[in-house]
Amino acid sequence: MSALGWGRRAAGLGRALWPAGRPRLLAEEEAFGGVRGHRRSSSASPCEQDRRKDWGHAELLEVLQARVRQLQAEGVSEVTVKRVDVALAPEASSAQSPGKARARAEGAAPKLSGRWAQKLDKEQRLMQKRKQRLEGRLQKRERTLAWQRQLRVEPRLLSGRLANQLQRWEQGAARSPWEEQLAQLLQEAPQRLSGDAAKASAVRGSDVRLEGQRQRLLSFFECCLLTGHLPLAHHVLVTHHSRSRQQRLLTLAMYNMVMRGWAREGSFKELVYVFFMVKDAGLAPDLLSYAAALQCMGRLDQDASTIRRCLKQMAQDGLQLQGLFTAVPLGEGERAELLRAVRKAEPTFRPPPPPPPPAPQLNTSPLLREVYAKQGCPVSYPRLHLPLKKLQDLFQQQLRVELATTVTVQSVEKAQPPTEEVLHARKTLADLRATWETALYQELQETKASEARAAREGRPSLFPYLCLLSEREFVGLLLQTLQALPAQGESLLFLAHELGLRVFNRHIVQRKQLSKQVQVLEQHYIKYLHLLASDTQVAERCLPRQWWEALGMPEAPHEQPWPVSVLVQLGKQLAEVLVQAVQMPGSLAAPRGPGSLIPVLYHVYSFRSFRQIGILKPHPAFTQLLEAAAERTLTFESTEVPMLCPPLPWTSPHSGAFLLSPTKMMRSVEGTQQHQLLLERCPPAQLHGALDALTQLGNCAWRVNGRVLDLVLELFTDKGCPRLGVPAPPSEAPRPPQGRQTPKSGLLPDLSPADKAEMRRELARRLKVAREMQSLRADALCRLSLAQHLRHRVFWLPHNMDFRGRTYPCPPHFNHLGSDLARALLEFAQGRPLGPHGLDWLKIHLVNLTGLKKRESLQARRDFADQLMEDILDSADQPMTGRRWWMEADEPWQALACCMEIARATRAPDPAAYISHFPVHQDGSCNGLQHYAALGRDSVGAASVNLLPSDLPQDVYSGVAAQVEVFRRQDAEQGVRVAQVLEGFISRKVVKQTVMTVVYGVTRYGGRLQIEKRLRELHDFPQEFLWEASHYLVRQVFNSLQEMFSGTRSIQRWLTESARLISHTGSAVEWVTPLGIPVIQPYHRDSKVMIKGGIQSLTFSSSGDTSQKPNTLKQKNGFPPNFIHSLDSSHMMLTALHCYRKGLTFVSVHDCFWTHAADVAVMNQVCREQFVRLHSQPILHDLSRFLVKRFCSDSRVSKSVWVSRLLDTLLSVPKTGAFDLEQVKRSTYFFS
Amino acid sequence: MWVPVAGLPSLLALSALTRGGRFCILRFGAARRKDVLAGNRRGLSDIHPQLLSNVGFGKSSSRVYRCRSEIKRYITSPRLAETLVQILQGKGDASQPILECNPGPGILTQALLGSGAKVIALESDKTFIPQLESLGKNLGGKLEVVYCDFFKLDPRSRGIVTPPVMTSEMLFQNLGIEALSWSKGSPFKVIGILPTKSERNTLWKIFHDLYSCTSIYKYGRIELNLFITEKECQKLLANPRTPNLYQALSVLCQIACGIKVLNKLPWSSFETYTTNGQLEKQKHRELVEQNMCLIQLTPHRDLFTGNLTPFNYDVFFHMLRQCFMKRNAKLVDHLHSLSPIDALHILKQIKKNKNVKVIDMYPQDFHRLFETIECSKEDTCKWLYDDFMEDVIL
Repeated sequence: MSALGWGRRAAGLGRALWPAGRPRLLAEEEAFGGVRGHRRSSSASPCEQDRRKDWGHAELLEVLQARVRQLQAEGVSEVTVKRVDVALAPEASSAQSPGKARARAEGAAPKLSGRWAQKLDKEQRLMQKRKQRLEGRLQKRERTLAWQRQLRVEPRLLSGRLANQLQRWEQGAARSPWEEQLAQLLQEAPQRLSGDAAKASAVRGSDVRLEGQRQRLLSFFECCLLTGHLPLAHHVLVTHHSRSRQQRLLTLAMYNMVMRGWAREGSFKELVYVFFMVKDAGLAPDLLSYAAALQCMGRLDQDASTIRRCLKQMAQDGLQLQGLFTAVPLGEGERAELLRAVRKAEPTFRPPPPPPPPAPQLNTSPLLREVYAKQGCPVSYPRLHLPLKKLQDLFQQQLRVELATTVTVQSVEKAQPPTEEVLHARKTLADLRATWETALYQELQETKASEARAAREGRPSLFPYLCLLSEREFVGLLLQTLQALPAQGESLLFLAHELGLRVFNRHIVQRKQLSKQVQVLEQHYIKYLHLLASDTQVAERCLPRQWWEALGMPEAPHEQPWPVSVLVQLGKQLAEVLVQAVQMPGSLAAPRGPGSLIPVLYHVYSFRSFRQIGILKPHPAFTQLLEAAAERTLTFESTEVPMLCPPLPWTSPHSGAFLLSPTKMMRSVEGTQQHQLLLERCPPAQLHGALDALTQLGNCAWRVNGRVLDLVLELFTDKGCPRLGVPAPPSEAPRPPQGRQTPKSGLLPDLSPADKAEMRRELARRLKVAREMQSLRADALCRLSLAQHLRHRVFWLPHNMDFRGRTYPCPPHFNHLGSDLARALLEFAQGRPLGPHGLDWLKIHLVNLTGLKKRESLQARRDFADQLMEDILDSADQPMTGRRWWMEADEPWQALACCMEIARATRAPDPAAYISHFPVHQDGSCNGLQHYAALGRDSVGAASVNLLPSDLPQDVYSGVAAQVEVFRRQDAEQGVRVAQVLEGFISRKVVKQTVMTVVYGVTRYGGRLQIEKRLRELHDFPQEFLWEASHYLVRQVFNSLQEMFSGTRSIQRWLTESARLISHTGSAVEWVTPLGIPVIQPYHRDSKVMIKGGIQSLTFSSSGDTSQKPNTLKQKNGFPPNFIHSLDSSHMMLTALHCYRKGLTFVSVHDCFWTHAADVAVMNQVCREQFVRLHSQPILHDLSRFLVKRFCSDSRVSKSVWVSRLLDTLLSVPKTGAFDLEQVKRSTYFFS
Repeated sequence: MWVPVAGLPSLLALSALTRGGRFCILRFGAARRKDVLAGNRRGLSDIHPQLLSNVGFGKSSSRVYRCRSEIKRYITSPRLAETLVQILQGKGDASQPILECNPGPGILTQALLGSGAKVIALESDKTFIPQLESLGKNLGGKLEVVYCDFFKLDPRSRGIVTPPVMTSEMLFQNLGIEALSWSKGSPFKVIGILPTKSERNTLWKIFHDLYSCTSIYKYGRIELNLFITEKECQKLLANPRTPNLYQALSVLCQIACGIKVLNKLPWSSFETYTTNGQLEKQKHRELVEQNMCLIQLTPHRDLFTGNLTPFNYDVFFHMLRQCFMKRNAKLVDHLHSLSPIDALHILKQIKKNKNVKVIDMYPQDFHRLFETIECSKEDTCKWLYDDFMEDVIL
């Protein structure tokens, strides 16, 4: 096509943007086209094209000229025009649009006056659209075959005008510069926004599903880019774009992602194609789109004017040039190219300096003022007891562990001398594994190939995910899964999810490794250690987070987790590979069985009620083989094992804890994003309290209490001792009389059917017991093996929190939150001299652990310990052979550990100088009620939960029981029958459970059941009165609580009612804890997600996203307890932060605080002070204000009835009593 | 197996008759209904204060609530009652006591007593009990009334049971009924109407009890005479020739029992009551249009002589439930997740084509399939099924 043609076209379109620069541009484009060779390969041969063009040209010219004459002569109405057009369209269908455009340019446009030109233009556009459609159909048929073979590059646009534009340019590709098209294209305004919005609101019902599909698609594109399958991503984008139903799924983010991919490769043509699609979809390009375009221009070294036009258009769209460098996350190379492009247009341009380090940001919460105060109270942050060199070494160890992603640990099961049989089994197993590896490898490749085919057909398949890791890694992962599969099988859904997650974690670790982040991390971490090590100096004492931030570690881009549906789908695919590939010879299963191969894994179904659940189950012969081989190793994911070096400090909601493995600060059900979004949205400084508290809890160094571990292992490898929490080995389990597997069982003809039924029941009972024992045993094996693995080492337990702010250690098997046994195995790695009172605290702690003397003063408890000193020393010296006093305690193992510590301390030459590693606990007494009593300022209630100083610890349960007794006596005197019957039966025990759970929202219904259970246990209680009496009692318990905690009940009611109304307005309840953590209740109506295909369709329900409607019942019932939990977690964090400032070692199990014996008094003081500080805040008024702002200030909804009722409720904050909070500071038994 | 019963017109005639007869029944019923209601009202007013205290304290509130939604049907037409007496007493010995489930106003009870039979009335609604007790006043112990829900005997959840939920041991010990061995027969027969809302669940429970030889079946091969909806009845009788109705329950039922359909009546022959003895208006059209069938289920004497026994019946149940989850799939596909034994080999043994589908298998074929796998000598492991996997409903 000639230059003249191009010029005419531009003129005809009336968009002569740049008359001066045109010739030069053309020349350049030619050169560019020559070099890059990006020419569209048209299906029609050139000569044919020409012929068609000519034909069309002539025909059209004729028609149009006739039309123009007609129009000029008589002002014909639109109707006729349209009819003519319709008649014309089929004839003109085979004509190519450039011809027509030229015709218009030559014929009509220059001659006609403005109005006619416009009209004609309009008609022509209509006509073009129709032609385009027909052409499209034709071309589609032509190309169908070709598509199957090659990936699509050129888009098919739905907007006729754009399509036309695109096509014309494509055909003129030899001359027309791609970047000009882009610049011109940019001016096209998005057209379909309004229409789309209307449509979107119409299909609100399917929103959740649509959103799910979008997430999956986005994740697919991202993964394609990561694995270098950009053309595939482009292909899928084009395919989706060309189908209007699927186009709904595409978002600007997806187009941008693909564009960015092309920009990185410097492929301008494809980038323009995507730009066309963006416009076609009616989307407005944003900074990311411009960044991609400019970056590409920079890479291709385009000339200034093109870039300038692009920048100009950007300015017109209201986007700031500076924003490209601040608001768009870019890699270093990308940034350089972008800058190069911009500099070309504006040589003086300077990118804005990187944002100043966020150091000056300071938390402004009044509660935390002292924690972050630079002056004032003295600061003595604790340091670790280890030197820098040692810590560096530990870091390297942990890094190796995380890079390997798994840890193999020796099992503590007793080692049998390897017999012939064992060796044979091991050899068989090894041989099998070798064959499985090859089989899995092949199967994986086949799966990959078929997924690739699916992707080519335009479906978002799993192909890129399967490319993330090497086959070798997948095989390793699958074999590990097979090894760990329990004998009774595992639910396919669970297994799939687990597999998906593991792939994701491995992929993240691998990416960090590839992107050189590991080295950067190492440098920074070593600098960070200077703050913690025992032999280093730092200029200024500060918190670990502050120190880390000051080091200026570049924030790694935060990896978006894959949607659950992707995780499950990927996991299911992998599980299928496993089922398909893994086989063993049939002779293993039966000596005389077939010699052929039989599967190792079976997909079986189980019925729960009427639901059918798919289970993967190993062949029993395989389980037997594993048992016979008795391999003494256990494999854990690296995140399941405590860390070997201090965890990374938490600096944001998604960075902290493990070195490489991604960890969330707020744990949640997989797939829910609402918590994460909420955290990301709030100003960083607001989270400092939580970040620092979690960091500090994780920084506590631990070690294993070796002597206790020895004793436990002795029991464990012997017969176990269920009474002490050491599960017995399977050999102790009741053997099935005759297993189902033995052929003659239950088939003996001489037994009557009833006898056989009895046999069956007996068998089922024994199997159940055996199974329970087995699972307990497996659990203990994990824990003890880890303990054994960590013996003689120092380790750390990184922490995160749940949605209410309660903190938990991340490693699941071995931590201080576990049972008595687990807690007894742990002690502080760092020791402190006992000091003058430490020994007394050890003794009191021991008595607390026994559960005796709960109602006695501290003094009395210590004296009690002194009296028992002989027993204590005996327990310490001969735990298993002596009098075994410790075994009678409530918490026997911890008591034993404490006995040993006391023995060592008393035998030390100077007990005050004895270095103790033993953690001493202080428990809140009914902590939930303590918070309620403080909130409501209930004097009576406060006294009964030890908020008031008193000589002896008060017991709220006895208090309630006494109050109930008062009511009962009154009723009995009035002649109420049930009150008379209950005489002498009301005790602490009867009411305890109900009082305890009332804080957590137990209802009358549940409370009655609890009490009925207690009454049933009383043997002399007349059982016929059970229902009546429990009904009466629960009413009286509630009345008594109302009497004692009047404020509490009204606060509970207020919270419940508010939550109910908030839920009715259609939102989930949100609030902010006094420490600034944003909380949202994750209770929504379930929505089912189904993944079809493969061996089984999997359905799982997701209930955790804000887009779903709230579950009113759960929101309502959950709010009071969750709110109280958010308060107790705030109290714990405040205590933790202040203890840290005073140099104490502090950890917590919710409302049980641990520290060294020497520091108990300090911790108690901090704990009480912080409780007073916390409740001195106007907590309820703050809550009310927040809720009003959050839920009632939106003008669009404020007219709703619910909202006005909500507003009324929220504004009537419950009145409080007259309790003086300051008294808590002097209360000895507040925490004890 | 539509078996015409002696003394009754054949089915065709019966259905023709019921139309005419229905009119009679309705008219007659209307007259009677007044009586019954009057009686009921009297009864109600007599016991009202007591009842309130019972409702208030005898059960937890939630249970009362749950019962309220439950609608029960009762036989109120004396003519129908007479017909039923003929069917039940037509053959067999009259000395065998009849266990009547939820007699309600007691029309059938009266008729049975009139024919000289010994009746044990298990009534789950306290309202009716005084009136029922009054029926047996002068009969010298021919009638025993127990506050008990027959269809909830021996609940699976081993909690504490309180009347009307009972264990069979409690019930039969008090009644002085001894267990007979499986081959001997049954110490009593049962007549009742399956609960409207939970027909299927109740049937599952009955077959669990039957195959495991527990609950009432511990006392012998109990003959059940049950009114069930026609639809459900057809399902029980279905086989591959009626594939749309064929299901696991059909197989279980046909393997275990001899089935006789004794009678078929329109639904309107019954009255429905809510819990408190109030007459319920028949407003559910779809229910009204359904017919009710009286079927007789007699367990086979030789049910447990093969390899299917109360010891392994649960495997059989599991096999059927899984097969009928995907009814149109090939049997061979199901076998892969039922047993590790070579599926083709098994099919060869039961002489079935490898393309045979689940719905092509007759109940006897399933029985044979089960026996074949259970008997197979080759493998130590015959079933992939495990007790652990199933938690049985009911």
